[in-house]
Amino acid sequence: MELPTLLDLVRGGDELAWEAFVRRFQSRVFGLAYHYTAQAEDARDLAQEVFIRIYQSLSSVPDEDGCLPWIIRVARNACIDHLRRRKARPPLWDLPADEMFDLRSSDQNPEEAHLEAVRKTMVHRALQELSDLNREIILLKEIQGLKVEEIAAILDVPVGTVKSRSNRARLELAQKLTAAGMGGR
Amino acid sequence: MDESFVNPEALTQAILARTSGSPCQRLRALACDFVDGELDGAQEDLVRGHAEHCAACAALVKALAESKAVLPALAEVDPGPWFMQRVLRSTSMRAVEPGFDARAAWRKLMHRPRIALEAAYLGAVAGMMGMYAPVPWRSLELPALVQTVPLKAPAQRVMGQVIQAEQRTSASLRRVFLPRVEASPSANLWQRVSARVRSWLQRLEKVLKPSNAANP
Repeated sequence: MELPTLLDLVRGGDELAWEAFVRRFQSRVFGLAYHYTAQAEDARDLAQEVFIRIYQSLSSVPDEDGCLPWIIRVARNACIDHLRRRKARPPLWDLPADEMFDLRSSDQNPEEAHLEAVRKTMVHRALQELSDLNREIILLKEIQGLKVEEIAAILDVPVGTVKSRSNRARLELAQKLTAAGMGGR
Repeated sequence: MDESFVNPEALTQAILARTSGSPCQRLRALACDFVDGELDGAQEDLVRGHAEHCAACAALVKALAESKAVLPALAEVDPGPWFMQRVLRSTSMRAVEPGFDARAAWRKLMHRPRIALEAAYLGAVAGMMGMYAPVPWRSLELPALVQTVPLKAPAQRVMGQVIQAEQRTSASLRRVFLPRVEASPSANLWQRVSARVRSWLQRLEKVLKPSNAANP
């Protein structure tokens, strides 16, 4: 179903349409929250909170192309709020980072599936070591696939900054991956 | 013999060190565009040629290419089987407000860990309120009952003061509580029960009086 049609039904109070909407975006919202927090349970709570916020402001959801950037902006704001709270009141003990890429893979070959999961885990860990701005740019541009202008609007920085930072962030990530053993001959 | 005359790679490095310096920095500037396929043919050949002879730059380019392949796959992560239900429960009004089940509510109430303590507390509070609540008929009879006991003069004076204080307290409490009690339907029931008890007491008193008179 086309997104504008689905949104019209959701705004009309159709619960099946809302379920379809959640199914369409839940993995993406959870993925973003997971890369921000590195904790699966925190990410689930955040993703749930994001969908509640969306539900409460359905009239503000833009149609067509603007929908995904809008959702990502809402999710990003929720994640930033959560990280601020966590920084202000850190947990009593260090929480180990969860590994989410070990079980589920669509690849048929078990060996390939395992290698794919290892690569994803390595990239996820390397992402956590980046600076905040570089990580956000990688998350929004390379992972979520947003346009440079959309990222500039979300981060409230000039477009040129996003462009220049993007290559620097990718190089920093590649260096972390090289140090971790990825990319060797 | 100088190593540079034996190993061509060493010779190249020696010449670069004395002229332009290491070209690795230049490769770093072009690596992302190289991986994205945005370089023109000549620059692409130059980058590829350098990477063939520089292990560090080759590893960097390979890591960039692999991350480029992996990163889009990280956009979606399965949140687990119960996530959808959690979201729907939080957002759907029908799911949030199920019908009221009195039996389930009672069972839930009885299974609370401190139910015994809470019941004892409520019972104690109810008992205290019953003892000290202003009952007009009882408070009026109290002085009469006390005065029937023969006391000496100082004790009578103290008891009189206690009785007066009790009357003042009862009067003030009656002023506070009586309008509310009368307004509620349970007050009528209370009044009826009190009147019935009073009449029984009066009858009992009449019955007992002749026998008291017969045994002075």
